[in-house]
Amino acid sequence: MGFFLPIRNWVLQTLTFLPVSTKQNFTAVYRRFTSTTLCRWAESIDSKTFYPEMKIKDSSMMKKKTGKNRFSPKPFSAFAAGSSKMRAICNTNNAVANDSSSPLNIVSPPDTPLSAKEWEKLKEEYQHFKNFENVMFESMIANHSPVDVAKSLLVAMAKRDGDIEYNYLVMYLAICVFHKDIEEIYDIYNIMKAKYKSLEASAYSLLIKGLSDSPHWKETLVLLEKVKKVSFHSKQNYGDCIEGALLNQERNLAFELFHEMVAENLTPPLTTIKLFFDFCQPVKDDHLKNKCTDILYYLRNHQIYPDESLMLSIKQWFESIPGENWKGSLTSMNNSYCSRQCPSCGHFLEDINLSEEEYINVKEKIKRDVIEGTDVFRNTSPQELERFQRFMNEHPPFDVVIDGLNVAKTTLRNPSSKTLLDVVFYLAQKYHRLLVLGRRHMLKHSFQWKKSDMDAMQKKADFFFTDNMSKDDPFLLYATFHSGGHCMIVTRDLLRDHKAVLSDSVTRRLFFKWQRGHQMVVSSYIPGKILTFEDALPYDTIVQTDGNTWHIPYDDNLSNRASFEIPGKWLCLQKK
Amino acid sequence: MHLLNLIRPAFKLIAPKITKYGLFLTMPRKISTCGTLRMIYLNKNISKNVDENIDLDEWKLVVLSGLEKEAFEKASPEEEPNIAAIKEYIDMSRRLGKAAPENITEEQLKRLIEYPSVSSRNRYLAFLASKEMKKNAEKEKKKKQQEERDALRKTIDNEELIPKNRLFRAIWESSMDVVYNWKAAQAMSFGQPLVFDMDFNDMSEREMQNTVNQMMECEGLNRKAVEPFHLHYCNLKEDGPYHKEFLKRYGDTWDNLFVSVTEKSYVELFPRDQIVYLTADSPNVMETFDHNKIYIIGCLVDKSIRKGVSLARAKRLKLATAQLPLERYFHWKTGAKVLTLDQMIMILITLKNTGNWKEALEFVPKRKHEGFLDPSLQHFIHRQKNKKISQQNFKKKLLVEELSKKRLWNGLWEE
Repeated sequence: MGFFLPIRNWVLQTLTFLPVSTKQNFTAVYRRFTSTTLCRWAESIDSKTFYPEMKIKDSSMMKKKTGKNRFSPKPFSAFAAGSSKMRAICNTNNAVANDSSSPLNIVSPPDTPLSAKEWEKLKEEYQHFKNFENVMFESMIANHSPVDVAKSLLVAMAKRDGDIEYNYLVMYLAICVFHKDIEEIYDIYNIMKAKYKSLEASAYSLLIKGLSDSPHWKETLVLLEKVKKVSFHSKQNYGDCIEGALLNQERNLAFELFHEMVAENLTPPLTTIKLFFDFCQPVKDDHLKNKCTDILYYLRNHQIYPDESLMLSIKQWFESIPGENWKGSLTSMNNSYCSRQCPSCGHFLEDINLSEEEYINVKEKIKRDVIEGTDVFRNTSPQELERFQRFMNEHPPFDVVIDGLNVAKTTLRNPSSKTLLDVVFYLAQKYHRLLVLGRRHMLKHSFQWKKSDMDAMQKKADFFFTDNMSKDDPFLLYATFHSGGHCMIVTRDLLRDHKAVLSDSVTRRLFFKWQRGHQMVVSSYIPGKILTFEDALPYDTIVQTDGNTWHIPYDDNLSNRASFEIPGKWLCLQKK
Repeated sequence: MHLLNLIRPAFKLIAPKITKYGLFLTMPRKISTCGTLRMIYLNKNISKNVDENIDLDEWKLVVLSGLEKEAFEKASPEEEPNIAAIKEYIDMSRRLGKAAPENITEEQLKRLIEYPSVSSRNRYLAFLASKEMKKNAEKEKKKKQQEERDALRKTIDNEELIPKNRLFRAIWESSMDVVYNWKAAQAMSFGQPLVFDMDFNDMSEREMQNTVNQMMECEGLNRKAVEPFHLHYCNLKEDGPYHKEFLKRYGDTWDNLFVSVTEKSYVELFPRDQIVYLTADSPNVMETFDHNKIYIIGCLVDKSIRKGVSLARAKRLKLATAQLPLERYFHWKTGAKVLTLDQMIMILITLKNTGNWKEALEFVPKRKHEGFLDPSLQHFIHRQKNKKISQQNFKKKLLVEELSKKRLWNGLWEE
């Protein structure tokens, strides 16, 4: 009976295997079916209960037109880390990603080295691949096969062709680099040096990566020079070289490389910066300490936020400085009180307002780049611009500038004018002078824009209407800047396209800082019941120090932050 | 038991054959979710049979032994070291399977060096590589055609299949050209003007080449139309980039084209109230083709999409503008609503000759839309667009959208 066992096993496997797969398919199909039907039911039920037509419009518009949910404003926070991703998930039903890997592309590499004959045999099995060796090497890289297996394939190829082509050498090198087989990497390096005059970028970077933590690490510097001759450096190449230097206690060289990298406008990867803090820890050297704080100033000037692991390294580095007794703690700022105080040490964080000089600079750039741009006629017309400037000069500075159309379209449950009216009345209680920017078509009486509402609003606020074809956002920005540093702006727009138009990165950063400090957002609104604003932040989110304390904002591993958002967590360091 | 006894010897006969090939079609032990069959190579059994120890470093010897021969061949003529290194670099990346051309000229190399980043250089190399590939493929194709033609001629000569008596002489392309030129000449004196605005100077070289390509296409399509337009190339600066590119592409034919070329602006040539500037950013939708109007097309290809460039121009000169009614006729799918120049001219020619929007808009690329809208829906949307937004129309549009959505749903389920 023992003879039959494997066969029976096989049968058993198929028996168990098949039903499982069909069942899975079935459940997948079933789930998909139910989810779609549920969606449709939900729509139809909703639409019957409340505003029959409008609801339908909204749900279909939502997916089709802008992907923006205009019906009920979901709680909207503008700059907190990860909020844009959350909004994206709320607004679109993410389809289930289907990973379709066709069975034809699957090659499982062997576990042990094969002889040349066996490779030939295997190659015949996979005849349908045009380039068997290429595919095999790629799957070896993907599966992290042992070096010996790849080596045996090289032997087989060398026996057959008498030579090995460059691309196979590079792929073999990639396998060796992954397994950190330093001797082998050095051998390949010598072969490549003997065989070819120069290499290309991917081989160079693999060699730099492979040799950086070996006794031959000085070769990486030579390689780095060679890359420069024919191509551009990547930050990864520099990072690997720096790692090599730091591992071999050549700290000054590492710092030199760092400065060279920064001078070439490359942003160092966070892992490289982390290495500096890790390797400079045991040293009681003032010079070195200053250099490390220089890195922190670099982070400050370029508005780079460390991630969690780098933050921990920085914390450890500070706490290991002998004789200074630093104490680090993790906090998050309390947004609800709108105070600049750090909850853990009580120090005040930096103010978000721009300095006089910066303010004038940004104002000029906005006028030049955003409003006029390459062609005044693209956004507005000269006559209108003149009219607007006259209007601004005639009126004393405003406290709040409201983007009328943006605010009015917060919800579709209300006519637009009613929403705007609510917001204007609410703000009029707090602030004295309001300006609402809009377009001419708002003045015509219609279902959306009621004449009575507009008249009521005009008693509380000043209005400026642009032409229907002009863009209102540039005017909005200019009006706010013209009114001075205290003036706030109300819009749900993140103003990213206007930020992008600004010519240099310094101005862009200043603009973003201003925006964080002056933009108020209607965060939730239910007609007649709730109207809340997300107020502007009073403090600046940036790496900062006053000698005795350091405050460093960082990204935690959980939230994925978009580039136009800022982290909410802080590392607070204090000298005791 | 009896049955088993019968089967067992039979299996014994088959079994060695299976193991000899060393391959089993088996199911994976672990039940994987994708459920594909995998070929599992039973290498363990075999490597025991054949020689146990494979010399793993053998390949190095083989490679190094082949080296000395190559080193002699490598004595290439002396070149500027930087350029030689970059040539080498391109060669190496080609060996790696990246898109890079086999041969590169000095001029192309110089331009390559001017590109400021890795990605832009790679893009340029890929462009050159695809160009080279196309060229080679074309050469091969021509060669093949020539051979086929020769073979055909031989058989024809032998069999003498062609009848000798014919009513007409064979119509060659040159005789067609004469007809087209007559028609174009007629259009020059009596045809409706169509203006190309050539006052866009801040284009990159590639964009300029593409524009001139499309212009040549336009001119050809117009010439072959039943009733051609009288084409005006306005604002064309003498010795400007456009002019140079045209001369380069057309050669001597440039002077024989049946086209009015001027340095003047269209505002000087035609009365302002007849001019309509066609631009996708316009708020006005073109209803019908007017035979008394002078339509202007901006000669602009912008790969980095700059919005409202031509609209700004029309605004400055206070001209009427219009956009094609694409949204009214199509379920738009993807892509910008900006069409190429040759598509535009084909649409205008068809409109001029038939006045049928559906026929004209056939020239909009199929990948950009999901087919024409229902006429009944068009009616609603049409009214909705033209009237002020009142509550009633608002509701109607919603109904229409729901309707179309339902239709879409039905369509999906039917498929």
